[in-house]
Amino acid sequence: MITAGQQRSWVQQLMTHADAGLPGKSPGWLSHAREAARQVVAELPVLDRKQEAWRYTSIEALLKQRFRPASDAADMPALDISDCLLPEFDSYRLVFANGRFDPRLSSIEDLPDGVSLGSLCAVLTTDPELLATWFGQTANHTEHVFTALNTALVNDGVFVHVGNQVELDRPIEVIYFSQTDEDPLLMQPRNLVVLDAGAKATLVERFIGFGPSPYFHNNLTEISIGKGASLNHYRVQDESRSAYHLSSLYLSQQTKSSYQGTTLAFGGAWARTDYNTSFKQEGAACELNGLYTVGDQQLADFHVNVKHSVPGCVSREQFKGVLYGKGRAVFDGRILVDKQAQHSDAQLSNDNLMLTRNAEVDTKPQLEIYADDVKCSHGTTVGQLDPQQVFYLRSRGIDETAARKMLCLGFAAEVLDSIEVPALRDAATRTLSDTLNATIEARG
Amino acid sequence: MLSIRNLHVAIEDKTILRGLNLDVGSGEVHAIMGPNGSGKSTLSHVLAGREGYQVTAGEVLFEGQDLLALEPEQRAHQGIFLGMQYPVELPGVNNMMFMRESLNAIHRARGEAELDAVEFMQRVREKARLVELDEQLLKRNVNAGFSGGEKKRNEILQMAMLEPRLAILDETDSGLDIDALRIIAGGVNELRSPERSIILITHYQRLLDYIQPDAVHVLVDGRIVRSGDKQLALELEEKGYGWIEQEVAA
Repeated sequence: MITAGQQRSWVQQLMTHADAGLPGKSPGWLSHAREAARQVVAELPVLDRKQEAWRYTSIEALLKQRFRPASDAADMPALDISDCLLPEFDSYRLVFANGRFDPRLSSIEDLPDGVSLGSLCAVLTTDPELLATWFGQTANHTEHVFTALNTALVNDGVFVHVGNQVELDRPIEVIYFSQTDEDPLLMQPRNLVVLDAGAKATLVERFIGFGPSPYFHNNLTEISIGKGASLNHYRVQDESRSAYHLSSLYLSQQTKSSYQGTTLAFGGAWARTDYNTSFKQEGAACELNGLYTVGDQQLADFHVNVKHSVPGCVSREQFKGVLYGKGRAVFDGRILVDKQAQHSDAQLSNDNLMLTRNAEVDTKPQLEIYADDVKCSHGTTVGQLDPQQVFYLRSRGIDETAARKMLCLGFAAEVLDSIEVPALRDAATRTLSDTLNATIEARG
Repeated sequence: MLSIRNLHVAIEDKTILRGLNLDVGSGEVHAIMGPNGSGKSTLSHVLAGREGYQVTAGEVLFEGQDLLALEPEQRAHQGIFLGMQYPVELPGVNNMMFMRESLNAIHRARGEAELDAVEFMQRVREKARLVELDEQLLKRNVNAGFSGGEKKRNEILQMAMLEPRLAILDETDSGLDIDALRIIAGGVNELRSPERSIILITHYQRLLDYIQPDAVHVLVDGRIVRSGDKQLALELEEKGYGWIEQEVAA
């Protein structure tokens, strides 16, 4: 049980580092946002089981950690990232080491005209006006204690702006490396992705963590997709097994825009991702696919909140989980169709494959419809591998371990196939395959 | 090749097979017929090693070896193939990839070289023509969205790919229209050879018009109660199973 006092003292302890914020000059609007968040952060409601969105996600263990915000160069580990780069993958690459942009490992030269890409800190110096236009437009700065914390201590992140009708020639890749050997560190990237009308881009985010100590990666991303623009967004969370990870995404879509997202969660001890999608104008489409694997001492948690507040938009959410050992997962998906949002087309599904008896999932797909002319569906399944399918494969000479693995990969295939970047899809398939090898063989 | 002696099998506490005897020689085709619930499918499942069946007495020798001691995949490595009555769908598992894994697993177990991609493709295309299976179905997931007839053709395609010593075809003819039956039977006939034995499990004589068996057995209440040649199947077609059941009861 968490008390208000506990949460407050945890926050206050972090706020003592508030001055270690942005390097250099911080413009007034940003100082203002930070200050406003600072004012409310300690007073926000306790995230306990009485809050529906946190009912199955205990933050008790998280609040027991005494994190320190990673702030300066001293907290940036010297990294050799060559092992972590995807083979044959040509990208505009930004690397964040313990939450701070590392120009030595990044590669963002030769950008096409009309594209602005860099760290939040850099853009604050070069183009603060552009940043001011978009910062905080889609996110709720102070939705809960962690988003407020991100805002109050904002110090770096990614800024992407793709101008009118510009099509990026290769994907943008953001790698967040975390390595904690001693102090538990708090990293809080604050990202802003803006696509102007007719723009097209692919964004790949990869979260990779090492080291024995816990850390908390608390990132917040605002995405704004202009008229007729389209974004392919891939996220692969492979944090260390001691890590806490919270991704809060806020998505805003203009008419005829398209968002195609695939999110994969493999790592972390406690990992939660919140998607908030809102359609601003008619005829937009949002597709979101997710895959998670969890084993002993792991929690994977997804909250998907899709608001159809205007007519004629399409949303598709498909999440699949493979659970083993004592792994725990939470899926909380909600589609809201407002009264005026006629001809909305929404589908939400969550399927869970339980490889062991001790794994647990709390799944809660919800449809709330106030319009009367819509096409909506939602569903969830929780099941085991089908013995008939295992037997079918074995009767064809494939041993039991390989058969079970093949069926698990088959279960995940739909989500993995939605990744249109071959190098990333192959890497993700390998990660899943390695996880399955370890768990299915251990089971014997 | 196959010798079944006094086989007793139960599912949970219910006895299904009660002393079944059967000998199938190399290159022979045997048909096993019988009414619903007589134990035909149980026999095929026990031979392939499906879980959930208790062998309470008897033995099964395959080329002199104790078949019942082997895992399902080991039986496949030894050359046993079961064409399923209800082939399951395998979502997300590509048909071609599955067949290649299957063939290579068997080759590895036998210490033989695996087929490379080109050899495999040539072979699968050639065999798909044998059962007139649309090549598009090779690119789909195993049996996913296949019609009943396509699923059965996919089974015979796998039989053709794996070249078993003993194939057990469990009601491969059920649910097929006359054209599909002819194609499937043509495929099976093409696969007949002096080294390959086949057990056809069927309700209907119709299949045997297309695949001429060397022997026909009637299974009633877990035992083979009568054996004969093709004539016996015709007799069953005419008179039904009732008269045999009565004779057995008498």
